[in-house]
Parts: sequence; C-alpha cells; structure tokens
Amino acid sequence: MSETLLELNDIGKFYGNIIALKGVTTTVEAGQVTCVLGDNGAGKSTFIKILAGVHEHDAGELVFQGEEMNFTSPRQALDRGIAAVYQDLAMVPLMSVWRNFWLGSEPTKGVWPVRWVDKAKSKRIAKEEMAKMGIDIRDTEQPVGTLSGGERQSVAIARAVYFGAKVLILDEPTSALGVKQSGVVLRYILEAAKRGLGVIFITHNPNHAWPVGDRFLILNRGQSMGNFAKEEITIDELTSLMAGGAELEELQSELERAR
Amino acid sequence: MPRRDGPLLARPFRESYEGHAMMVWRGITSMSDEKTGGRKRGSTIEETAAEAAEGAVVEQMTETITEEAAGGDERLAYRGVFQRMLIRPEIGAVIGAIGIWTFFWAVSERFGNYGGMSNILDIASTLGIMAVAVAMLMIGGEFDLSSGAATGALAILTILLVRDVTGEMGGASFSLWIALPLSFAAAMLLGWFNGAMVEKTSLPSFIVTLGSFFILKGMKSGFGKLIVDQVQVGKLDDLKITAEETGVSDRGYGFFNKVFAAEWQRLDHLWEGRDAVYTAAILGGLTLLVVAVYEQNFAENAKKNPLGALLLIGGIVGAVVGVLTLHNTDGSSGDLLGAAIIGISMMVGFFGLALWRYARHQSGGSAGFSGSALWALGIGLALTAAGVFFARWLDSTNEETLLLLVTEQGLRAILFCGLIAGGLVYLAIAASRAGRVSPVSKSIVLLVTAGVLAGLAFFIQAESTSRKFRSEFFSVLLAIAAVVAVWAIVSMFFANRRESDFAAERRGTVLNWLGLALLALGLVVRLMFTNEAEVLAGNPPAKFTVRILWFLGFTAVCSWVLARTKFGSWTFAVGGNKQAARQVGVPAARTKTQLFMLVSGAAWLVGCLLAFNINSIQAGTGNGLEFEYIIAAVVGGTMLTGGYGSTIGAAIGAMIMAMAIPGISFARWNTDWRFVFLGGILLLAVIANNFIKTKAEGART
Repeated sequence: MSETLLELNDIGKFYGNIIALKGVTTTVEAGQVTCVLGDNGAGKSTFIKILAGVHEHDAGELVFQGEEMNFTSPRQALDRGIAAVYQDLAMVPLMSVWRNFWLGSEPTKGVWPVRWVDKAKSKRIAKEEMAKMGIDIRDTEQPVGTLSGGERQSVAIARAVYFGAKVLILDEPTSALGVKQSGVVLRYILEAAKRGLGVIFITHNPNHAWPVGDRFLILNRGQSMGNFAKEEITIDELTSLMAGGAELEELQSELERAR
Repeated sequence: MPRRDGPLLARPFRESYEGHAMMVWRGITSMSDEKTGGRKRGSTIEETAAEAAEGAVVEQMTETITEEAAGGDERLAYRGVFQRMLIRPEIGAVIGAIGIWTFFWAVSERFGNYGGMSNILDIASTLGIMAVAVAMLMIGGEFDLSSGAATGALAILTILLVRDVTGEMGGASFSLWIALPLSFAAAMLLGWFNGAMVEKTSLPSFIVTLGSFFILKGMKSGFGKLIVDQVQVGKLDDLKITAEETGVSDRGYGFFNKVFAAEWQRLDHLWEGRDAVYTAAILGGLTLLVVAVYEQNFAENAKKNPLGALLLIGGIVGAVVGVLTLHNTDGSSGDLLGAAIIGISMMVGFFGLALWRYARHQSGGSAGFSGSALWALGIGLALTAAGVFFARWLDSTNEETLLLLVTEQGLRAILFCGLIAGGLVYLAIAASRAGRVSPVSKSIVLLVTAGVLAGLAFFIQAESTSRKFRSEFFSVLLAIAAVVAVWAIVSMFFANRRESDFAAERRGTVLNWLGLALLALGLVVRLMFTNEAEVLAGNPPAKFTVRILWFLGFTAVCSWVLARTKFGSWTFAVGGNKQAARQVGVPAARTKTQLFMLVSGAAWLVGCLLAFNINSIQAGTGNGLEFEYIIAAVVGGTMLTGGYGSTIGAAIGAMIMAMAIPGISFARWNTDWRFVFLGGILLLAVIANNFIKTKAEGART
C-alpha cells in the first residue's frame, strides 16, 4: 500500500470557550484523495488552518511522515511540503500567469546586487507545468484575472505541485464554479493524486467528493461524524451524515407535508 | 459588480469574485430560511436538491472537458501589435503628452524653444524623480503624503549639518562627506518609520503619512527658527566662499556641486555638424519605429520577393538624396523639392519592404461599410471641417479678451486644435470599425484620413503668416500624412499576422529600442549643441543641469527593478493582493517598508539637487507637492488602488505637468490657471486609463 503522509489523531481547537473542532481523526495517503465534508460552520476552515500552520491545534496529535508536528507558521508547513490552495486562490489577478506561478520563489540570474528574474526560464517552466496538469496556456503573459475560475485553480494547483508539495489542501475549489468548470477541477485533483501527492479536498458538496475521494471525513458543528474509506460508505449515507442524518429526514417529511 | 477605482486599498477584483459567490449563497439560503426558519438546515436541502442532478453529469463531463482543455484555449485570440500597445499602462500618458505638447507648441511661439525646453526639463526632473518613486509605492498599494515635505526637510537637514557652528547661523559644521551620508540615513529612517507604522498598526497609509507630513512641516519651520532664527536656511555655497577667502578646505563642496548641480551651457558648445546628425537620427529613428510596427503586425512571407528588396534599396537611396537636397538648399522651392523626394522615396521604400518580406492577403475582401463606420467617418470629417471653419472665421491677430478668459486668437487656437483632435479620433474609430468589414474598407478610411492630414498641413502653411501657428507644423503633419497613406496602401495588400511569432517579436522589440535610441540621440544633439546660424540669430542662452541625468537614470533603474527583479514582482503582488502574496511567502511587510524607504531616498536625492541648485531652502519647500507626485503617477497610468502601473508612465506624467507651467504662461494665461489644468488632466487621465484598461482586459472582471 501507499505511504501514509499525514495522520491526525483526535485533533481539537478551542477559541476561548468556543469549541471550534473536536475529536477529528483521519489519514492522508500518498496518491489518494481524502475528502473533508461539512456544512457551513462545520469547522472545515479551522481544520485547514491547523494543517496549513495558520493556527496551532490545542488537543490531539498531528503526525507528518511519522513525526509529530506542531506548526506555528504557514512557512513551516510549506517547508515540510504541506501546501494549501485557498478559496481566494492566493492569486494576484492583475499579474501575469507566470509571475503568479513563481510569486515568492522567482528564479534569478546575476550576482548581488544586480540580480534579476530569469524570465525565459520562468515562462517556460510555468507553461510546462501547466501542460502537465492538462491545460495549455498559450500566452503566460496574460493576467490571471482573465482566466476562468477553473484555469485559475489549475495554476494554483500546478504551482503547489511544482514547489514540492507532498500534501495538497484544496479549500472548496469547486464552490464558486459552474458544473463544467467543477468537472475540470475534479480532474486536476485526480491528476495531482496520480502524481503521488496526498490530496485533502474540502467541500460541502458530496457529489463532487464522491467521484474523486478515497477516504471521507465528515464534520458537523465542529465534531467528527466519522472517517470512512470509500468501501465503507455510500453517497446517500454520506449526504445524510453530512447534514446531521436524523435532522435531514425530519426536514424532508416536514417539507413534504407542507406541500 | 463592475470594477471601479473604489475606496483606497480596496481589492476590487477579489471582492467582486467572492461577492458574486456570496450573492448566490445568500440567494439560496434566504429562500429556504423563510420556509424552515433555520438557515443551516435550509441551505443543505436546497443544495442537495440542486446539485443531485449536477453530480450525475460531473463524471462524464470531466472526460470531454479535459480534452478541450488539452487542445488549447481557443477563446484566446491573438493580440495584434496595436492592441498590445493599448494595454500598456503608460499609453494614455504618451498620447496626452504628445497632445499637450502639440497644443502649447501650436499656440505659443516661445514654448518648445531651447530656453523653454531646459525650463521644462528642470521642473520635470525633480518632480519626475519623486513621481517615479511614488508610483512604485502606489503600485505597492500605499501612499506617502510626507514625500513632498520630506524633500525640503532633507535639504534643510543637509545644509544645517554643514553650516558653521559659529557665525550668525548655527550648524553642525560637518564636512559634506559626512553630512550627506548622515542625511541619507535620516531619510532611510523616515521611510522605515512610515513603513513600520503602516505595517504595525495596519492603519491606512494615508493617515499615517499625513501625520508624518505635519510632523516634518512643523519641524522644518520649528527647527529653522530655533537654530537659524528664520524660515529660510542657507547658504550652501558659503562653503566655497569661505574656502576661497581663507584657504581652508571647501569640505567636499566642489565635488558634490559637480555631482548635483553641474551645468551645460548650450551657447558654449558650437557644432556645425549638428543639424546633419539631427536630421539623420530623427528620420532614421522614425523609419525604424515604422519598420518595427510592420515587423510585428504583418505575417512574414516564406518566400521573399527580390523585387521588393530592390524597391526598398531605391527608397533608401532616394531618401538620402532627399535629405542631402534639403540640407544643401535654402529657400522654399528647394525645401519643397527635398520634401517631395523624401516623401516619395519613403512611400516606395516602405512598399518595397512590405513586398519583400510579407505575405499577401488571400483576398482583399470587398469594400463595404457598416452604418456605424460611416457615422464615425461623417462625424470625423464634420469636426475637422468645423475646426478649419473656426480658424478661418476667427481673427488670428485679435488679442482682445473675450469672456474674461481667452483672447480671440487664443480661442481660435483652442477651437482649432480641439476640433481637429476630436475629428482625428473619430476618423481613427471609423477606420477600426471599417476594418471589421474588410481590410480594403479600412484602407479607404485611412486614405481619407491621410488626405485630411495633408489638407490640414497645407491649410496651416497657408495660415502660417498668422502668429499663432508655426510653419514647422506643416512638414510634421505632411510626414504623418505620408506614413498613414503608406500604411493604408500596404495594409490593403498584405495580411496581418494571426499568431504569435517569437522571432518576429524579438526583431520588432530590437528595432523599437534602436528607433527610440536614435530619436533620443537626435533630440539630445539638437538640444545640447548650437551652431553659428543660431548664435547669429541671437538665440537666448539655455543651460541644462545634471539633474536631468539623475532623472533619466533614476527612472531607468526603477523601471528595470519593477519589470525584471523579484522586488518588482513583489511590489505588484503586495499592491494587487497582499493576502495572497503573503500566503505564497512574499515578505509583504518588508517589501512595503522598502518601498517607503525608496520614496524617502528619492526625497533625499531631490533635496540634494535643490540644496545645491538654489543654495537656500525655504521652510515651506516641497509642502503640498506630494499631491502633484500622485497626480503625475496617476496620469502615467498607475492605479490608485495599487497593483497596476508604470514608472515610465509616471516620468511622462511629470513631463506633462512640467509642460503646463511654462506652457500656460507662454500662452498668456495667468499661471493660477495651472491648477485648473492639473485637476482637469487628473480627471481625464483617470477616466481614460479606466476606459482603456477595461477595454484591453475584456469584459471579465
């Protein structure tokens, strides 16, 4: 079997007396997609922030490649190979594709103090990496703002993959996209997993999670509702668990009566 | 949600992007809220219902979509050379500068002569150095309102550091070799203070630097009065005088005076070969620029046509003969002959070039006009005709004031220039609309435009007896008419390139730079040297100070840094989306602080230039100029909200503003009207830049 990259045991996070996250357990394996499902306010954002090093966890343990971790800054997590692609994409819309791709880690030529960005190389590699994700950017000079939502996601994913991410966290990558675009992004997720990354795919849409996921972690109101391998669960169970099971059934019958 | 230059430091793009998603969300949740009374549960129901169907198709969708994506983005059309030119942020400033130059040049006899030129460059230099630095800071998403006051403050500090302790005015009595590094360190400290305050408090830089502006302003007059007991601090050249009188060292004054205030007296430099170099450089430069546009615009022919090469050589030979004819004759008939030879050989040469290198149209298409093109053509011709009419109707010699503001001759000039400019814009619009029908239609419109330009040239020549228009205008306009005519004919026969060609782009870029360099060489030679004929004609003396070189050098370095270095990339990033930049590891706080230090460093440089040039600094020096720096940057295409802009644009913006100062007084208006002009230019620039940018980027926001 594949290597286990990340193990979470009973992770919890408290903001004062508010329990933002409690008792979350799951694993992320290389080449597999772990989906984190949850409704609004379920604790998904807190979950990502702990993994990406924005917040520290207050309970439980976070084991990365067999080593217990406690990230105190995003840079630390990034250096270990945990890259997060946020909902707002961490893109600068008015900058060109290649500049966005390299932002923060531009390759340079020359000796200090006269050192400049190796434009030809940056452009070439950006184009190649995008092509590996199955997207052909004809002109890497075009501003990212002119790309479609799915293409922008692919730039972000390609960037994370190129800079040596082992675990890729995708925060609701499909939430703002149309049906077609969502499909494209799901394909990029599989592409990234195929290249040996452990992918954490966070979504509130079971229909997006089901086709790509190998493992599902369901959160509701800051609590883990379960952690299942794909064989252990069906999409219907997933949906009803996500919404809190019994509550949903009650609601359905109520709605039917109202008709 | 349309993009606007909204509140300061807003991130319009991201807002609209997220805003849209949020709106959809709220739509879904609020609908169900009413039914169930529970926001959380409601949204789930709606969501699952709406997306159940979606989920079923997702899997098969992925298949087809990946294929599409792999095939390249067919929606991304090739951008022609003109389109690419239009998306440059500084394009508005370039057009504005040419327009304003032409206007003042046309209405005033003194504007643009050597004295006027050195005056403009002098003003533009100090303004421009600051504008370039401020533009970089604005691209990084911040403002510095203390930048104006800082120039004066640092100049005063430098002077106080070198003044004698004894004597009527006190000072620290340092050598300049120590005083200049010390005041530079003070400048760095000021920039660091501004940057750190903005970063640590995360208050808007507008407020923080407004605070440091008042502190500096108060310190300038406060310390001035405390130490030297007056609001004016001077004199730096006492160093030299004391050294001469007593024989002590001048403490570096001689050296630094050369660095910051060396002068070039034009009348002392005679060179008879000047005009030949000037003419050759200008003609050569313009030709190279046109060739560069050709190279980037037309599709190359795989098989070259040798006949074209022959015509090209003929054209070049003809042009040289023409220039020699022009050079060796005096008097108008010789001039006309020379001009005619140059014009014709230029047409032949350019056509030959096209025939030699570029592919023909498959079919030229038939001439046809859309209604909108005809409209634009009609409006353009009507406006031009109206301009000519007013020029004939109004009396060019009448200097009586009408309506409190302008003389009749001034009104005539304004109406003529304005209407003609409007007419030409409409003709250009007509050409672009006609181009959508067929290349032949476009060429016809362009030929009409060329005809109009030539007609205007002759009209102006006929009117050149009037004191308000210059005869030189004639030849310039005629040359432009010829270029447009050649372009019309060539684009009728030869096909535009439809896909990018790296080699051709390269050639075009190199030719562009060569052309610009030649043009610059021609202008510099003409400005720096004089000849006997001019001396005999009694041209007034003109001197150029070394600050122009500082201005050019500073702009060049900043432009390079912005375009080619990590720091430049980070500047755009922290201004465009600070959060995102931080997430990918850009040291946002450090970058912004360094930008503040760049601005205060520039203020130190300007302070030194002022201190050595005018010797005594008033306490009020520089106060209030910070807004002029910001205007220059904005006129140059820098966005108020950050993340977009250009240093070259800011430099040109400073030129525009510097032109206004002598231009308005030469045009015999009261100089108070300068501020009306500045305000108008600012509004126009913001609107024009916004318009150009949305056009260039397409409708997607």
